[in-house]
Amino acid sequence: MKKTRKLLLVIERDLRRFIQFKFLIILRTIWFAAQVAFFGLIASRMVVPELADIYFEFYVAGVVIMMLYSASVFIGYDIFEEAEHGVFEYLLSLPVSRKELVLGRSIGGGIRSFILVGPIIAITLFIIGLANPLNLLVALSALFLFAFGVSGMSITIAVTLKSGDRFDIFMGALSAFIIRLSTTMYPQAFVQDANQAYAAFSQFNPVTYASDLFRWGTGIERYLTMSPMPLAPIIGIVIFFFIFTFVGVTFYEKRLEGGGWQ
Amino acid sequence: MAIIQTIDLTKRFKDLVAVDKLSLSIDEGEIFGLLGPNGAGKTTTVLMLSTVIKPTKGTAIVGDYDIRKNPDDVRKLIGICFQEPKLMWVSTPWDVLNWHAKVCGLSTRERKRRVKQVLEHVNMWDHRRKRIHGLSGGMKKRVEVAKILIQRPKIAFIDEPTSQIDVVGKHKIWNMIRELRDEGSTIILATNELFEADVLSDRVGIMHKGKMLVCDTPKTLKDSILGGDIVEVQLEKEVTKNVLDELKGFKEVVEVVVVKSDDLRIHLNKVEKVVPQIMNLFLNERLPISSIRMSEPSLDDVFVHYTGLTIEEAEQKSKSR
Ligand SMILES: Nc1ncnc2c1ncn2[C@@H]1O[C@H](COP(=O)(O)OP(=O)(O)OP(=O)(O)O)[C@@H](O)[C@H]1O
Ligand SMILES: [Mg+2]
Repeated sequence: MKKTRKLLLVIERDLRRFIQFKFLIILRTIWFAAQVAFFGLIASRMVVPELADIYFEFYVAGVVIMMLYSASVFIGYDIFEEAEHGVFEYLLSLPVSRKELVLGRSIGGGIRSFILVGPIIAITLFIIGLANPLNLLVALSALFLFAFGVSGMSITIAVTLKSGDRFDIFMGALSAFIIRLSTTMYPQAFVQDANQAYAAFSQFNPVTYASDLFRWGTGIERYLTMSPMPLAPIIGIVIFFFIFTFVGVTFYEKRLEGGGWQ
Repeated sequence: MAIIQTIDLTKRFKDLVAVDKLSLSIDEGEIFGLLGPNGAGKTTTVLMLSTVIKPTKGTAIVGDYDIRKNPDDVRKLIGICFQEPKLMWVSTPWDVLNWHAKVCGLSTRERKRRVKQVLEHVNMWDHRRKRIHGLSGGMKKRVEVAKILIQRPKIAFIDEPTSQIDVVGKHKIWNMIRELRDEGSTIILATNELFEADVLSDRVGIMHKGKMLVCDTPKTLKDSILGGDIVEVQLEKEVTKNVLDELKGFKEVVEVVVVKSDDLRIHLNKVEKVVPQIMNLFLNERLPISSIRMSEPSLDDVFVHYTGLTIEEAEQKSKSR
């Protein structure tokens, strides 16, 4: 059987599973609506009146990236649920190579988050309006890589820690840093003003890259910084994707085959 | 020809040696029963041979491939039915099996036909759209077994296929396992159920504490226990000393227990060969027999003999786990 077909089957499985989590999808959508309709609208009143609308748009775009991040992380929790039910061992016994398995799952995890966030991106575009379709296309492709990368990262961390509790704590701490110290909710200039170390972290953060690119793609960034072609974030995201999909796969292989899940 | 050959296969979990320099050879096309008390290392052996876990030391050749060097090639040959059903809890039997069949490379037509056929055979067709977590223990096990019956791998590892399954279901599954073998698969059947191993296996191996104690056909093993066969003879008259001496003179007879003067229990080997001679002896001595009963040793006796555990002890161990 062709390798790509197996990859597709692994992806298909994760997608089917996801669609069964109706509860989660509803919950996430409510969260988004609340963030935008309450927090976004109220917080943007704190900005100088001329910039209130712009900040609101800026914020909405940031919330989209937060959602994309947390939805992509979700695949790691899936792995624990599977480990608990032994499905993990089942997957390891199938005629699928470890590489196909992890790559398939990273991609599956990424696509899942797009299924969740896709409609929200559409709503966002409706709110913000669309400046340049080509930019948006570039930005969306980069966001796909971002989502695959985050899924790969989540899988790598999950199989490294091999404990649901530790994973929970670690991911909680990680998202506290990686989201707060990024440009999801405030422009880099303000992070810089607050603290040099914060700024350094934020500058080399995949979440920052994703947020900047999405804003560039939707045309919001033009109000804040002038970047004709955001090469640095694109390269950053590509590197992030490669690290967690390919280096992660190798690592994962070594880690698992030593003694199965236990 | 050996299709599986292990070479000093060893697995350690911290201080515990679960499988200890196991040497095992399994022939192509046979059903090999892997027996042993709880914790003997059966499942660990199966997981290593199916490349789910890596050996600590040693290796095995499965098909033509080394499980350490070419695990991807090994996985193309094998299928495994796990001791604990490994199912996705949010899905249905049909989803699980259909996806499994796809990954194992069955064509669409073949897949639909086989999934339906096997689901019907294991009496799960009517439950195919139910959520897995709504199924009973035995039903889950049926779905697990169905995976391998649909897949029909060249080498099938089947770990405790009928635990939790009712009597009618057991016989059905045994028949299907035989059919699988007859279609050309080699089957490694890990089980605690000695009767199951006896009726299905071409050869059995008894493991204990990670080592293989004995390995042969069930019949040879049963015969290998001295005095394993038992003949109970009820006479119409009292037995004479002369007859007793002659009985003890047979080289196959291990012991003659005189329960009452007209009631004997003879422990012997090769019962089918010796009984006619014994009957002749009684006839010649004009001692009419009112009844005669033979019993063969079961694998239970073999198990007890080699593991040093009585069945009761083995059962106790399994309950305490
Ligand atoms: N992942 C693991 N980590 C630590 N110890 C393990 C692990 N898996 C198995 N063991 C230990 O290895 C030994 C062999 O276990 P195994 O499951 O292979 O036995 P088994 O023969 O299949 O028993 P059963 O009849 O109960 O299925 C046991 O002592 C068990 O506790
Ligand atoms: Mg077992």
